[in-house]
Amino acid sequence: MAMAEVFDRYGGLVYSVALRVLKEPAQAEDVMQDIFFQLWKGAGTYTEGRGSLGAWLAVVARNRAIDSLRRRKPTDSVEDVVLPAKTDLSSETERNLMIEKVREVMKELPAEQQRLVELAFFEGMSHTEIAAKTGDALGTVKTRIRSALMSLRKGVQG
Amino acid sequence: MTNGTHISEEDLALHALQALTAEESAAVQAHVAECEVCRAELAAATGDLALVALSTEPQPLPEGARDRFLSRIAEDAKQAGAHPKLAKIIPFNPAAVSRVSVWAPKVAVAALLIIAAGLSWEVMHLDMRLRRETAVLRSMTEKNARAQAVVDVLTAPAAQRVLLTAAKTPPAPSGRAVYLPSTGALIFQGNNLASLPADKTYELWVIPANGSAPIPAGLFRPDATGNASVVLPELPKGVPAKAFGVTVEKASGSDTPTAPILLAGAAPTAGE
Repeated sequence: MAMAEVFDRYGGLVYSVALRVLKEPAQAEDVMQDIFFQLWKGAGTYTEGRGSLGAWLAVVARNRAIDSLRRRKPTDSVEDVVLPAKTDLSSETERNLMIEKVREVMKELPAEQQRLVELAFFEGMSHTEIAAKTGDALGTVKTRIRSALMSLRKGVQG
Repeated sequence: MTNGTHISEEDLALHALQALTAEESAAVQAHVAECEVCRAELAAATGDLALVALSTEPQPLPEGARDRFLSRIAEDAKQAGAHPKLAKIIPFNPAAVSRVSVWAPKVAVAALLIIAAGLSWEVMHLDMRLRRETAVLRSMTEKNARAQAVVDVLTAPAAQRVLLTAAKTPPAPSGRAVYLPSTGALIFQGNNLASLPADKTYELWVIPANGSAPIPAGLFRPDATGNASVVLPELPKGVPAKAFGVTVEKASGSDTPTAPILLAGAAPTAGE
């Protein structure tokens, strides 16, 4: 697949995730441009064994946006991001169906789980920071985050 | 942080979220590098995060973002052109380039560079694929050797089998089953099993998830130290298990389990 085609297919997804985290269009575009440029430069950073390219890019976009938000150097290498091979978002239809499903499941999560996912995923807070902010015990934070992710997985598979 | 010999699923999810401290993350990373089970669970947790990312409301790209990206990679390809290796794989037509560079507007040159960049991407992609497939072959060979080593250890009479329990707790009989429903492959290892009279044997059972009759999965007798194993008994393929059980039967075995069930364990449901 030519690079322009990759960009056309996944640029919007990567930008949207980065913007949701950073809330600043110029910063979000910088993150997006860097991700695609790195993909172009280091073709070896992504392989099919790392799961669907779209899903992989979505996670890398979130991680890079959080790094940018916290003004820190990338905390992980893109090589560390590996997804299950079965996640397939290559076709527009599959992606749209999956997005619909995910949104439905997210809405149905208990409010406290939605809040923890928001804090951990989109605001990049650590579990200790979340526990301090919400007043919940560390164990409760861990369990709720895990439960939210499991509900999402089961909801999408089901 | 570890759950028995593995990292807990909660901590793997937090690691995928980069929500652990640096020390905790380093410990997880070191374990995951050595543990296939945790590596698979971490990949699954990262897959869950991709789902969360997909819940993001789509936003239109900023105006000109695509052009800025294509210009950037065109510029990069242009610079890479000076590199002997890349110069070799970018299929330029020197005559065409010469004509274009002299007569055509700059924009057309940029377009050519983008096309060349796309082609070099494809060439690199094919090269990557070849290297990947070679690596897969090597990895499969290594996995086969590793699987054989696992079976050798599990079945070796000389192997030391040690169950760690809380101090002063008498060891209770236990068993561990590892089952792959798609292929019907099952490995069972029992510990602290009482010896049986000569006319009796232990029998392992797979309890199918669809409610059909228990499937006999092998007869076994413990050694002098109470250990026993059943490795790859003949089982039908594609039968998800609800549970596993061990009973005592007559020496020749039985087609149906005889109460009481001495050891039982529920299989985790899909996705757990």
